[in-house]
Amino acid sequence: MAEHGVVTPSVETAGAASATTTGKALSVVALRKTYGDVVAVDEASMEIAAGEFVTFLGASGSGKTTTLMMIAGFCEPDSGTITVGDRDVTRLAPQKRNLGFVFQQYLLFPHMSVSENVAFPLTLRGVPKNEIRRRVGETLEIAGLSGFGSRKPRELSGGQQQRVALCRALVYRPPVILMDEPLGALDKKLRDQLQVEIKTIQQELGLTVIYVTHDQEEALVLSDRIAVMRNGLIEQFDTPRELFERPRTPFVADFLGAANFLPGRIEQHTDAHTLVRLDGSGGLLKARRHDLAIGTPVKAAVQPGRLRVSAPDDGFCTGTVETATYVGTLVRAGVRVDGDDAPPLRLEVPAGRGPVTGERIGITADPDDVNLFPTEQGG
Amino acid sequence: MAALTTTAPARPRKLLASRKTRIGILYALPVVVYLLVLFVYPIFSTLFLSLKDTDGALTLHWYADALTGVNLSVLFTTLRISAETALLSLVFGFVLANAISRLKPLWAGVAMLIVVVPHFISALVRTYGWIIMLGDKGLVNETLTGLSLPGAPFQLLYNELGVVIGTTSMMLPYTVLLLYGVMRGVDRRLLAAAASMGAGRITIFRRIYLPLVSPGLASAGLLSFILSLGYYITPALMGGPNQTMIATLINQQVMKENQWNGAAAQGVLLLLITFAGLLLVKLVTSLGASRRKRSAT
Repeated sequence: MAEHGVVTPSVETAGAASATTTGKALSVVALRKTYGDVVAVDEASMEIAAGEFVTFLGASGSGKTTTLMMIAGFCEPDSGTITVGDRDVTRLAPQKRNLGFVFQQYLLFPHMSVSENVAFPLTLRGVPKNEIRRRVGETLEIAGLSGFGSRKPRELSGGQQQRVALCRALVYRPPVILMDEPLGALDKKLRDQLQVEIKTIQQELGLTVIYVTHDQEEALVLSDRIAVMRNGLIEQFDTPRELFERPRTPFVADFLGAANFLPGRIEQHTDAHTLVRLDGSGGLLKARRHDLAIGTPVKAAVQPGRLRVSAPDDGFCTGTVETATYVGTLVRAGVRVDGDDAPPLRLEVPAGRGPVTGERIGITADPDDVNLFPTEQGG
Repeated sequence: MAALTTTAPARPRKLLASRKTRIGILYALPVVVYLLVLFVYPIFSTLFLSLKDTDGALTLHWYADALTGVNLSVLFTTLRISAETALLSLVFGFVLANAISRLKPLWAGVAMLIVVVPHFISALVRTYGWIIMLGDKGLVNETLTGLSLPGAPFQLLYNELGVVIGTTSMMLPYTVLLLYGVMRGVDRRLLAAAASMGAGRITIFRRIYLPLVSPGLASAGLLSFILSLGYYITPALMGGPNQTMIATLINQQVMKENQWNGAAAQGVLLLLITFAGLLLVKLVTSLGASRRKRSAT
């Protein structure tokens, strides 16, 4: 097994029900998987604490599902190790890993009733009949499915079926439950509702969950930590807040915050700020990153929701509102910045005093909300 | 299986009055006529024949005849050989279909072709093929003697073993086709799901896979049983006098003794047994379903 002196984050959750003895529920070290010339997962490493809700977030082909499948044992890594608790499971068959898995397609056994489905993993473990009945009843109750026990899966709605699948995966209290886009097949409203339910159950029972999704909102709602993946690489593994406010790469800034990117150069460092001269508008943008040398070409990333409207010529740039779309509590505006032929700057401002099309406005941003990324060619 | 489970809901009478329905009936007319002439008429004429005495009066004499003495033992032989055939073709069919269903679609297609194509050859030719293979100086016995197996050469022809080998090979394409269809329909990810919960191969097979393909097993078994009941060529050529099956007997009565009434009675009996088999399978499946339902609550 590879040596790894990673400092495990201290355990903050009291996972009373968890089967693990230490705080570490699962760790993955230098996991790699290739399909021909394509590197599906490239040296992925992470440690997940007991009771933690971790999401792999990425577009299709980012390697998130492959990583999950390797953890589950459905797909064998080329190299690297997977440890559950203190047990190296890298080369074990799925059935010997004692993990829970919730699939996108539910995959309930059609010839069994709801109760039988949930009881199935318990019968495999030789749990006595009375105990099985008690635990199945308990679990179904947690998921709000009491009274559905004798139904067949096909008699349930999609949301109910996925709840049953969830019950089936947690009834035997595996140390880690893996979920592969479990809400992907459901409509938006049901998805929102089930997100809350999953989160509640996870917290109540102190479950350790690894969740795969391409939906960033879902990831933000559910997760303690999110691993943003792209092209088989983990771009950043952090809390939602950190990812949102301190993205480490332009990709993360774009993927999570749909940030505006403003090219420019570092002009000056003051005690409090770093000043960036923007290429297009020629305005000065304040930021807080001091480690970049003067003259370094950078991209300044600011999320649409963090830009503010001010009077014209009062701010780092001035422009004309090209589009203003009212979307409930917000107005989404596209602003054509003077002197800049880049696509319009995107703003999201509270609907109350939202800008209107054709209006001339200035734009400001809090230096804390500006993230600077040095551009490639600048070194 | 679908044919066994579908129950047509009673249509409201007023539908008949609609123009669409009347045109529908018109379209159905050729089929109805076809069935009346080629299906209903022959069956009923056979039925009448079996109930008619030589002097034209109604009688059950032919049935009594068919159910006593040699005729009865032939009936039992027929049932036994059919059951053995059904069982064996089910076992071999299961193994084959299971293997094929795991292949990539292209190879599965090739494999299915290999299974089915021999069926295009006349059963007579195939039966003679078996006779050549299984004879004392046939390929099988030569090989076994070559391996100096004690007891070789074996008697593989003109006994029950010979008949069952022959009929099983004839039924195999049916069972493979039926089972393959059902097995292809099984979502393999269900098996992965079971594995993720800790189920081993045997458990997955016994508790997930087998129940999911069991409807196919029931219909494939029933089909090969029913087809074997009336099978003529292979049992007649590959069996001995003790393996006379009912179809052979009917043939003898008609061709040699010109005894149509007795033959008709045996034909009707065969039909009744077939119906009974169908009913039995339906009963067993619905019983199983209701028992499972009860145990779930």
